[in-house]
Amino acid sequence: MELSGAELQALRRKLRFKVCHRIGFACPDVDDIVQESLARFLRAAQAGKMQNVETAGAFLNGIAQNVILEYRRRWNRDGVISDTLPEPVDKRSGHSEVFELHDAIIAGLHQLSTRDREILQAFYFDENSKDEILARMNLTDEAFRVILCRAKERFRRIYNGPLKQRAVASHN
Amino acid sequence: MSLNLISKDFHSDPVGREHVITSYLNRKLSDRDSDEFESHYFACDECYEEVRATELLIYGLGQIVVERPTANNVAIVRFARRSELTGTSLDTGALVETLRSQNETRVLIDLSNVSHIDSTGLAMLIKCYCHAVKNRGALKLLNPSAQVKRVLNLTKIDSLMPTSDDEVSAIRSFDLE
Repeated sequence: MELSGAELQALRRKLRFKVCHRIGFACPDVDDIVQESLARFLRAAQAGKMQNVETAGAFLNGIAQNVILEYRRRWNRDGVISDTLPEPVDKRSGHSEVFELHDAIIAGLHQLSTRDREILQAFYFDENSKDEILARMNLTDEAFRVILCRAKERFRRIYNGPLKQRAVASHN
Repeated sequence: MSLNLISKDFHSDPVGREHVITSYLNRKLSDRDSDEFESHYFACDECYEEVRATELLIYGLGQIVVERPTANNVAIVRFARRSELTGTSLDTGALVETLRSQNETRVLIDLSNVSHIDSTGLAMLIKCYCHAVKNRGALKLLNPSAQVKRVLNLTKIDSLMPTSDDEVSAIRSFDLE
């Protein structure tokens, strides 16, 4: 089974995000874990342990999970108090990639109406259920869906702009 | 939570998918479900892009603490989400920063999203009031909750800063002065 360079880079981006999410964006060992996971993945692929290209994502995810577990075990065994595992969820502070897009993100939000922002705030930030929001804001199911999709489209464009292009360029 | 990611519904139900993505980003999914979702987005570019876009959206929503629309030359300052005006809350500083950085002399602070206020919050309101008076302006309060209203009443701050429950009449009252 052979993966193209582009396929491999796409997997690498996802892998890096997963590792950061699992062990913390500030952890200095993120790149080591990503590299080790990819190396094991490629060795397994060369040894013919992976039959199907469609399952490559799940296969790599499984390998990464093992590497992360080993990393955590090492931390515990060495008796070091981990201050990076896992970092608390702070919705106000993003990691460096997100922080660099601060202006674009804020501009994107300001293009939304105050009401749309309130609805998104309730759904994403306050984590209210859809039914609660529909009742409180006097919205139909369809209107809620439209607001959500419209906002997501805007932010998908922001992600697909500089952030994604830079990630691709940095690996070429 | 069972994701059943393999079912077709996951892609055709954007609200359900957003719920899963938000739970994942906020680390509210179990390890098993997180693992299942990660396996899915490793193979699905669309879902991975959705995860990253939602990440940006949540970050942005966390940044907007205070909103400042204007109506009839009155700056209405309101918290974008449930907030506390207390010593330990970052929202208190955000309010003062917003008021100090603006030039409007007629300011209406909407307290409808403020659930709790303590002595630090009161001191901040006084500071905002002094700033407005120094600039020959006026500062009024709108829609305080019952708890906040009681504190404002006990400390007699409501006699210093007029308080109203109706936005339209509060905005009009600036013209009457």
